[in-house]
Amino acid sequence: MTADELMLTIFVIFLALAFVRMLAYRLYGEDPRFTQWLNRVDSVPYWSRVIAFLLVMGAVAYVDGDEYFTSVMVSVATYAMLGLGLNIVVGFAGLLDLGYAAFFAIGAYTSALLMTQTHWNFFATVPLAVLFTGTAGAILGYPTLRLRSDYLAIVTLGFGEMTRVTFTNWDYAGGPNGILQIPFPEAFGYVFQTQFDFLIVGLVLLAVAMIFAQHLEHSRLGRGWIAIREDEFAAESVGVPSLRLKLFAYVMGGMWGGLAGGFFATRIGAIDPTSFTFSLSVLALIVIVLGGTGSLPGVLLGALVVVGLPEVLRQFADQRLLIFAVLLVGMMLVMPQGLWARIRRKPKPFYGLQEEEGEDVAAKILREHQVQMEERDRRHAAAGHRVIKEGEAILEVEGVVQQFGGLRAVDNVTFEVRRGEIFSIIGPNGGGKTTLFNCITGVQRPKAGRIHIDGRSVVGLRPHVIASRGVGRTFQGIRLFKNMAVFENVMVGLYPRHRTMTWQAMLHTPGERKDELRTLQESRRWLGFVGMEAVAGRLATELSYADQRRVEIARALAAHPHLVLFDEPAAGMNPTEKVELDGIIRKIRRLGITVVLIEHDMSLVMRVSDRIAVLDHGSLIALGKPAEIQQHPAVIEAYLGREEDDLMERAQGA
Amino acid sequence: MGPFLQYTVIGLTVGSFYALVALGYTIVYGIIRLINFAQGDLSMVGAFIGWTLLVSLGLEHLPLFLAIVVAFVVPMLGTAIVNLGILQFAYKPLLNRSLLAILITALGMSLVLQNGSELIWGPAIEAYPPNLLPAEGMFLGPVHVTYVQIALVVVSLLLMGGLVAFVQGTTLGTAMRALAVDHDAARLMGINVNQVIRLAFVLGAMLAAASGVMLGLYYVQIQFTMGFLLGLRAFTAAVLGGIGNIPGAMAGGMLIGLLEAYTTGYLSGKWEDVIVFGVLITVLVVKPTGLFGERVAERM
Repeated sequence: MTADELMLTIFVIFLALAFVRMLAYRLYGEDPRFTQWLNRVDSVPYWSRVIAFLLVMGAVAYVDGDEYFTSVMVSVATYAMLGLGLNIVVGFAGLLDLGYAAFFAIGAYTSALLMTQTHWNFFATVPLAVLFTGTAGAILGYPTLRLRSDYLAIVTLGFGEMTRVTFTNWDYAGGPNGILQIPFPEAFGYVFQTQFDFLIVGLVLLAVAMIFAQHLEHSRLGRGWIAIREDEFAAESVGVPSLRLKLFAYVMGGMWGGLAGGFFATRIGAIDPTSFTFSLSVLALIVIVLGGTGSLPGVLLGALVVVGLPEVLRQFADQRLLIFAVLLVGMMLVMPQGLWARIRRKPKPFYGLQEEEGEDVAAKILREHQVQMEERDRRHAAAGHRVIKEGEAILEVEGVVQQFGGLRAVDNVTFEVRRGEIFSIIGPNGGGKTTLFNCITGVQRPKAGRIHIDGRSVVGLRPHVIASRGVGRTFQGIRLFKNMAVFENVMVGLYPRHRTMTWQAMLHTPGERKDELRTLQESRRWLGFVGMEAVAGRLATELSYADQRRVEIARALAAHPHLVLFDEPAAGMNPTEKVELDGIIRKIRRLGITVVLIEHDMSLVMRVSDRIAVLDHGSLIALGKPAEIQQHPAVIEAYLGREEDDLMERAQGA
Repeated sequence: MGPFLQYTVIGLTVGSFYALVALGYTIVYGIIRLINFAQGDLSMVGAFIGWTLLVSLGLEHLPLFLAIVVAFVVPMLGTAIVNLGILQFAYKPLLNRSLLAILITALGMSLVLQNGSELIWGPAIEAYPPNLLPAEGMFLGPVHVTYVQIALVVVSLLLMGGLVAFVQGTTLGTAMRALAVDHDAARLMGINVNQVIRLAFVLGAMLAAASGVMLGLYYVQIQFTMGFLLGLRAFTAAVLGGIGNIPGAMAGGMLIGLLEAYTTGYLSGKWEDVIVFGVLITVLVVKPTGLFGERVAERM
């Protein structure tokens, strides 16, 4: 076979595979045998699959490839590395990056300068290249963390252009001519110089990049990134430090780019700034979007298409870019999700976990919760704070004011919630209830007043800090991570309790594995706790409204908080579901968790609450036991208005 | 003081081209939240249609006024049709899908326009008739201003004024503004959403084409790759002013033009990109929504 035919054959094989895969998911997605088979494939370690695949690719090049075919494969490997890095930034964390070529450039220049100026060995320059690009990632990331994605696009684009122009104008690095005569890599006296040698080096580096990326994706870091991509605000509220994680994504993405850049420099032998233009950034982006954003096999496939297709189209000479562009647009139209889309729902997410009996689950949750509570009380006391006992104020709100323009949404509200009680906040719409929640959880900073949780002020803290201090919450409009499976949603809720480090996650150490397994186990228990275990593998969006609310409750509970804030949990539930919710709230209280509830369903509120506060037009108009609130004249007036005569009189008087 | 004012004149002229293209970005973004990367290339297409009319078809020999009107109107209409085609075939099917997919499609359409134009008009640099417009000018104090510069800035201002009047004063303009705020609410009020989206693409393309023709008249030389830098500058301008904001895009375009002129004048053309993007990033760090952008409150 000629090189072109071989390349076309590989294309056809992969596209057919992608098609069969899509078809299989569509037709047999619910079939238990398909599920079993998938789980069996999943239980084969990822690294062995990657190595096997890359060995096959290497063997094809060795047996049937000529020099030209092999060199195209080397380019595919380079682009795949680049794509893997960009995938961390764009695919996982959802940060649009249009200047990714900058990292490629910095990696290439670092490696090339070290090899030509200080005569380092290529393999010794790689760690430095990676380190430099990681630092560059932090420099780019830090000032841009708070920008929205469209703004991010132009800033990253600008960063890419600035980097290229700087290299063009930097005389030490050869200015516009770049760096020439970069030596070949050398190991133990062997000089890598044929295309096949490069392919070996490229595949080894690609294997490392691929395995690390997969480990990251399946760690708490990866889950945190995807949660941020889905809903940054909700992620922050369940304890994911979004700014730190975004910075991390830039650093990690930069590091992968550095690896690819170093390899590119030694392979090409001469680099200059024109190798790192905006179109390279765009190509890298096309690699990941074409393959399926966030999907690692998709990156390989995308790289194959982006590098291989123009080569196959060579015969069209002048029109080849045009044809490529048209094909690209066509592919996006036919498969907007990408060729090898990431499928996040899992029919049997708890495959291989030990089965547990229902009662056992409840007992385990209780035991775990008590252990957690003792642990945190001990830490709390050790840090010199007073431990709040049952019946003492766990949440103190004092003179809190929140104002939007001329509107006082919360006006000088003072109350306290005692540890272990169920406390409801009711009131007509627009009364300031949700705003108050937002002040307590750090989403908004109150204009005045003090808020103490556990005896410590929380005003001015970021939401994830407050969440990690043991405050869970749900939202009025459900804010689950829509494109994550239900069990993954709950696993994100466990984020604050993890203690594994990033390097552990990258290496997938035994400690990290144990931690992950525990997270999975616990998320399953919490889903059992709210009665949602059966749908654990579904996407969050596939559930009914009421079920989504219950999953949100499980997510809020996952980190073992001691105070939970539920914002209208019964909204959209039918009477049976409301009774079940009633049971769940009582079960939560039995764990010793304090519950604060915003709710419009009066019968639910009156049934479960120990005490009730009533907010109207931002002011606290009543506070007391349910029976007292039912009789309170101000409450009746707020809900029903004054008596009619009264109104008439006022109308006549006016 | 002399050079400074001279640079200012150059900056404002170039800036008005950028402002026109930036308006295209901003209008389309405001309505469907898409960064239409093909915007700069639409300008290029407009410039080439204008060139075809003036040079290939010999319209340059017509009376000056008539030639100029035709050279503006026909490219504006032609480019509008091209942009409508792009909307219909490439963006429409993806409008409710992932933002990333549609962004890639936009980048792809930019490539299609570039390479398509290369096929049609060839890779060579083409020249607008150099003697079409009077080359002389006048002195305003120490500053030399050519009549061409004045005319181009005036035409840009007229186009911008027309756009503002349209958006603020007509029913369709009001519909556009409503759509920018809330698609569903606008639809419920009986606004034909697809029609307004098409309108936005037509307006964006017309402004881009006008700026393309002006660039041709001003710099004389045009090439199929000219859209990239123009689009990049205009996009930067739109973001600098706060994307989605019409006065912001105009101010942003002028600012980028001035910045570029001063950098080239006082420093060196080599550092143009670094300075322009440096200023942009600094502004965004201080004010993350751009100079004129409003704070978007997060809804719970």
